[in-house]
Amino acid sequence: MNLLKRLQLDAQPEVDLRRTYDAVVIGSGAAGGMAAHVLTSRGMKVLMLEAGKKLDINKELKSMEWPYDHPRRGDMPPGHHALTLNEYTIRQPPYATDSKYPNVHSYVQGWNGPDYSKHIVVNEKDHPFTGTSYAWVRARVLGGKTNIWGRLALRLSDYDFKAKSHDGYGEDWPISYSDIEPYYDRVDRYLGISGVKENLPYLPDSLFQRPTRLASAEVTLRQSLKKMNRVLTPYRAGVTTDGLKHNKYRSRCFGRGACNRRVGGCDIHAAFDSPTGLIYPAMDTGHLTLRTNAIAREILVDRKTGKASGVSFIDSDSGRSYEVTARVVVLAASTLESARLMLLSKSSAHPNGIANSSNHVGHNFCEHVMGPGVTGLVKDRVGKPKTIDDGRPGGFYVPRFRNLSEKHPNFIRAYGFEGSAGSQMFPGTAHDTPGFGAGYKKTVRDFAGAYISMGGFGEVLSRYENQVEIDPVKTDKWGIPVARFNYKFGDNEKKMCEDMANTAQEMFEAAGFEIVNVDRKVLMEGWSIHELGTARMGSDPKTSVLNQFQQSHDVSNFFVVDGSSHVSASCQNPTWTIMALAWRSCEYLADEFAKGNL
Amino acid sequence: MADSPDLDLTRRDAIKAGVAATVGVSLTLRDAVAAQQAATTPAARTFFTPDELALVDELSELIIPADEHSPGARAARVAAYIDSQLAEAWDEQDRTNWREGLRRLDELSRQTSGAAFLRSSPEQRVGVLTRVAANEKSPTLPDDLFFVELKSRVVRAYYTSEIGIRQEMEYKGNSYLTEFVGTDVS
Repeated sequence: MNLLKRLQLDAQPEVDLRRTYDAVVIGSGAAGGMAAHVLTSRGMKVLMLEAGKKLDINKELKSMEWPYDHPRRGDMPPGHHALTLNEYTIRQPPYATDSKYPNVHSYVQGWNGPDYSKHIVVNEKDHPFTGTSYAWVRARVLGGKTNIWGRLALRLSDYDFKAKSHDGYGEDWPISYSDIEPYYDRVDRYLGISGVKENLPYLPDSLFQRPTRLASAEVTLRQSLKKMNRVLTPYRAGVTTDGLKHNKYRSRCFGRGACNRRVGGCDIHAAFDSPTGLIYPAMDTGHLTLRTNAIAREILVDRKTGKASGVSFIDSDSGRSYEVTARVVVLAASTLESARLMLLSKSSAHPNGIANSSNHVGHNFCEHVMGPGVTGLVKDRVGKPKTIDDGRPGGFYVPRFRNLSEKHPNFIRAYGFEGSAGSQMFPGTAHDTPGFGAGYKKTVRDFAGAYISMGGFGEVLSRYENQVEIDPVKTDKWGIPVARFNYKFGDNEKKMCEDMANTAQEMFEAAGFEIVNVDRKVLMEGWSIHELGTARMGSDPKTSVLNQFQQSHDVSNFFVVDGSSHVSASCQNPTWTIMALAWRSCEYLADEFAKGNL
Repeated sequence: MADSPDLDLTRRDAIKAGVAATVGVSLTLRDAVAAQQAATTPAARTFFTPDELALVDELSELIIPADEHSPGARAARVAAYIDSQLAEAWDEQDRTNWREGLRRLDELSRQTSGAAFLRSSPEQRVGVLTRVAANEKSPTLPDDLFFVELKSRVVRAYYTSEIGIRQEMEYKGNSYLTEFVGTDVS
């Protein structure tokens, strides 16, 4: 046996595929990790399949490495390329097919320090998709996108769950805030969250640990917004700032700041990631078996009963196919991959794909729209001594204020803003400051840290016609048919974005900031990395895929616990809701399993 | 400040935390090999001729000079870093553009002052650079476009250097903090 072969075997111990597991969980991100945690804590024997590899993430991230200690100052080696906004918009998917670069990554790799996450996001060459333009960011690795997420951890409210009752559009969720509140609490306690209580009915508080602090310009904006009956609150970060006594894999946050300087990730795991937050503790129960490099190909179905019987998967290294049987199948492969797998899982019992008697799988695809925002100059900060403003997991959040008690004439639903002020390691304005020489250098020095900026995240309406389906021709590296997109923003998003830019400017002007730039351009579809809604919950099996416990209406032992279950996108970031919902559903699953109902 | 018991405690906690964070995370041999490959430094190749390197060195110092506050691009070895970047650039066009851009800059210097850039006076050098920098916001001509490329690389190299970060910007972060900095609004 040659050395390489032996190394590969060491890296991927064979798991026992002859036994029948109580549950197989497909995916290891926020949703899959939570399913593993809840089901194993109830004593169920769980096999987790992850399409990507298990990386030694601490070695990848090197959170404290200085740019000048890295041979390329944090840039990727030659031959690696990050897609640009321009490439996404002038070309059609698949974007990487004709690229001269052997490794093509999504746009997030174009941010600072991409070398630290190049093994976390996929090579687009191996993972093509077709159809309409979409910036689809995928992380095939243990923990998925939780390895690089932005960490803004927000709750939804009944303004979101009952949005149809509020404005008549779309569908209400089959749950209310009171149904999910106890599970938000559990997520807060188990994983840790930082923030400040604000008592807002439209952005419920979490059980917060030590909050971050505001830079002086952020305090100015907070006070000014108060007069407009709007709120600026310190970034609500899915980061443990006080530590977690029950988790030996995670440290408390020490404000080192790499989370803001790079694509993300935290090598002391103060920021939540699924492996250290959920999966390793679940493995410690002795009930979780992990199989990485396992690309789910099809959810298998018992011909007689029509129930799910297991999963077939392909080993990403060897290309070999395997099958595993389980009493319950829990899908958590991410919104679009989950829809793809359900549509690929056709059988005589489920000719349109598993759990798809409604023909709603892949449809009602929604997300967040972003782009509009504002940058302001805080004149009294010019030339002041530098403060450490990038040691925090995030700056601030301005929650929604549209369509609460008043009705906006031009659009329904709402948007919030993320932003920050102050100094960073790299003076962001150095590239845009004109000129050269001593004057240029002094200007960059004096003005660095004197800027404040924020950008909006708005709800994209759930529409039946926005969908992903299976491409009849194109396949990926492993011969699996790829997703084909048919997805566009609509008029409501465009009008909302106009208002976003206007209110951003209005709020900065009211705070006395000199407006440097107002961004009015809408970024393309997919940019928010918040895709949701392709297998929505509902009480009517004709218009929804899952019930309120993310259980298939058609197949009782099949659950889909990721963002695909969301009925509407709301404008709050989804990760915390994904985990609270998965916790609630998996408690129900374990109860039903114990009763022999699945 | 560095000796305060508070910070020492923090540092110890941090070390403990670091140890805890690695418990149970086995480093497989394959990971080790991958890490080793990732750590491989770029080949010690160079691209610029000695004359080109001297020219880029002077241009970088003209863009970000030493002043009473901190050393400039020359001390931060900006030209050498740009050289190493270009030597391994995937796209041959990057190297072609730089060679051509530097040649044109010398040519422009000859036309305006009768001497190659490095042989002209300090005032004449600033004059040439001022001319190509004039259309920085909307460059169209080759000389203007090259200035934007030149400045962009110099800026990135300088402000990611130890001199740029620690001395010029006096950056104090990337350290273990006992408390977050700023105003508490809770």
